Amino acid sequence: MGFIEDNERERLKFIDFWAAFVRSHDDKEWSRQQNIIINSALKSSKMTKPQYFKMKGEM
Amino acid sequence: MKFISRKIIEIGRELSELDRFTFDFIRVLREHTPYVIVSGYVAILLGRSRASEDIDIFIPPMRLEGVKALVVGLGKAGFECIQAESHDEIFGYLKDKYAVRFARKNAVIPNIELKFTKTAVDNLTLKDAITVKIGKDALMISPLEMQIAFKEEILKSPKDIEDARHLRNIGEGHLDNGLIQGYRKMLHGLY
Repeated sequence: MGFIEDNERERLKFIDFWAAFVRSHDDKEWSRQQNIIINSALKSSKMTKPQYFKMKGEM
Repeated sequence: MKFISRKIIEIGRELSELDRFTFDFIRVLREHTPYVIVSGYVAILLGRSRASEDIDIFIPPMRLEGVKALVVGLGKAGFECIQAESHDEIFGYLKDKYAVRFARKNAVIPNIELKFTKTAVDNLTLKDAITVKIGKDALMISPLEMQIAFKEEILKSPKDIEDARHLRNIGEGHLDNGLIQGYRKMLHGLY
């Protein structure tokens, strides 16, 4: 099996693992962990309008 | 997360910056029109471990006066349209079936991608929207079955396939699999 297939399989495995975690843990617990990803992604993604529209293919 | 009924999900989550942004926008939007949140944020709200820089929302077509009032209300709440300034221009985009994006003033990310419904599928999604209760507030989102079908049948990118898988996992035991199949069949003929 190639790298791409391996990577895809690992990603799907994590999707299943994480969903099981969400289902079996308190909402406060999984959301606290999820928010680390969301909040840091938003904090690090500063763009100008032209940069953003170019990225979205809307320019 | 509790599936209270087929139309109501209750989540006791801590709010992310993306959730706060969405709630701030929706508190204004719902004063002016029905709405439904679709696509990636639906999966994120329900726990998917990824971020997004935009939130997709459908509203039914409105007249110019309605759009003006909405944009004024959003402006008072600190939002601005990032690709158009005048009310006429914003209305023109929406009327021509394009999305308009709103962000907090002087920001680009995160943003709301707002569109008028234009297809039978959009209208069905709006009509059958379900409620997600978070604390004392709530958001209207697409039926999970429609999101799964759309992502698996139409969008199909790795990110969308993963979103659909997450929703299937989270909704296990609460989803109508026959409905997902029905939506997939319907979408296959439409797009």
